[in-house]
Amino acid sequence: MKITIDESRCTGHARCVVVAPSLFTDDERGYGVVIGDGDVPADQVAAARSAVNSCPEQAISLSE
Amino acid sequence: MARDRTEGWAYFAAQGDVFEGNGTWYLTSAEAVQFAHRHPEIFTSGPAFAALASPVPLVPLAIDPPDHLRFRKVLDPMLAPRVINRMEDQLRDQVRELIAEFSGNGHCDIVADLARLYPTQVFLTLFGMPLEDRDTFIGWVETLVEQSTSETSAAPPAAVMEAAMGLFGYLQTFIEQKRANPGDDMLSAVLALDGDEAFTEPEVLGLCFLFTLAGLDTVTATIGFVMQMLANHADVRRRIVDDPTQIPAVIEEILRMELSAPVTPRVTSQEVEIGGKVIPAGATVNLVLGTANRDPRRFENPDVLDPELADRGHLTFGGGIHRCLGSHLARRELRLVVEEFLRVIPDYEIEPGFEPKIVWPSGTHHLSSLPIRFPKVAP
Repeated sequence: MKITIDESRCTGHARCVVVAPSLFTDDERGYGVVIGDGDVPADQVAAARSAVNSCPEQAISLSE
Repeated sequence: MARDRTEGWAYFAAQGDVFEGNGTWYLTSAEAVQFAHRHPEIFTSGPAFAALASPVPLVPLAIDPPDHLRFRKVLDPMLAPRVINRMEDQLRDQVRELIAEFSGNGHCDIVADLARLYPTQVFLTLFGMPLEDRDTFIGWVETLVEQSTSETSAAPPAAVMEAAMGLFGYLQTFIEQKRANPGDDMLSAVLALDGDEAFTEPEVLGLCFLFTLAGLDTVTATIGFVMQMLANHADVRRRIVDDPTQIPAVIEEILRMELSAPVTPRVTSQEVEIGGKVIPAGATVNLVLGTANRDPRRFENPDVLDPELADRGHLTFGGGIHRCLGSHLARRELRLVVEEFLRVIPDYEIEPGFEPKIVWPSGTHHLSSLPIRFPKVAP
């Protein structure tokens, strides 16, 4: 599974960084950034779903 | 609404996803509010704040694109989580000291003794201003906020003028001081911007003014709501006393349900069709975040505080380009208050017989008092 942020929708709430710190980090502006290429390890799937839910802009997607 | 927001918001939402009343339009569904957030070129901010008649530009809230981006580009990094991290120890010490003032008494008023004081201290710390000025500062800001948000005329104009003169004069003095002797604070950082990024004098003043209008009262109100919710939900409170790592999640749920600024105004730049209704150009449109956060199409059991569902993305800090600039700081303040308070006072209750109420109608929501009692804590 792969996780991505739609940058055109992201406005820097940074909720993803809080709920899934292994998958996202924050940049200098406080915006969430996907760590690495966004591959979600099996033990991080729940955290990834949480990141999708928690984004107020619905900017995060999880794909197969 | 005054006693119970669940009933109040249900009444609001029942009027429709998009409706008009007395010449003002209301967007109540999560989808409609989000559409407005994503289209700042239609739902403009500048004209919406004209009624405040601020003598300085309210940077960046009342600024529309393209200028808006210029401000946010430099301001976002100044309030990013990593910047707040560096302040955390200092901010934690401050909340500890405030709690120590009343923990031995066995009772306090959350609003007067904690919620009202802490956000202003944080602002003064962030901007490099002396904490001794806290109470004077609070006096000015409360007078101004009351005037700008109340639908009934509150403070007499003379008092408002005096507060405005006091606050502006104070900010002006500090701007001059920081220009001459920059420190390691946000105000000095703003003044140090140069070239295309430089702020004009009125813009700096406008930024300071907006911070005091938008960043103090809102956190004060939310501390009140958080402590009220935790008093009323003893099960949730015990859960986070036992496992403080769950505090941030519970705070998110309370933020979703109890908004200090539940409605944000915009003015349409053109005719727009939304939710099957046509809103004309030049209309004042209120984005009702309070109902959007309880929209059953987006949130399961929206009227229930559910720590298990705390990752549901709410719109309390708005969205789109005007997403609350201070959201990371506000969240940190709330977490520090709850962590430190429950560490010292894990069990408390609202004074029997006291019924917490918000002032209503008003553009902002807050409890004016929240007296509580608890077992005395030995110093």
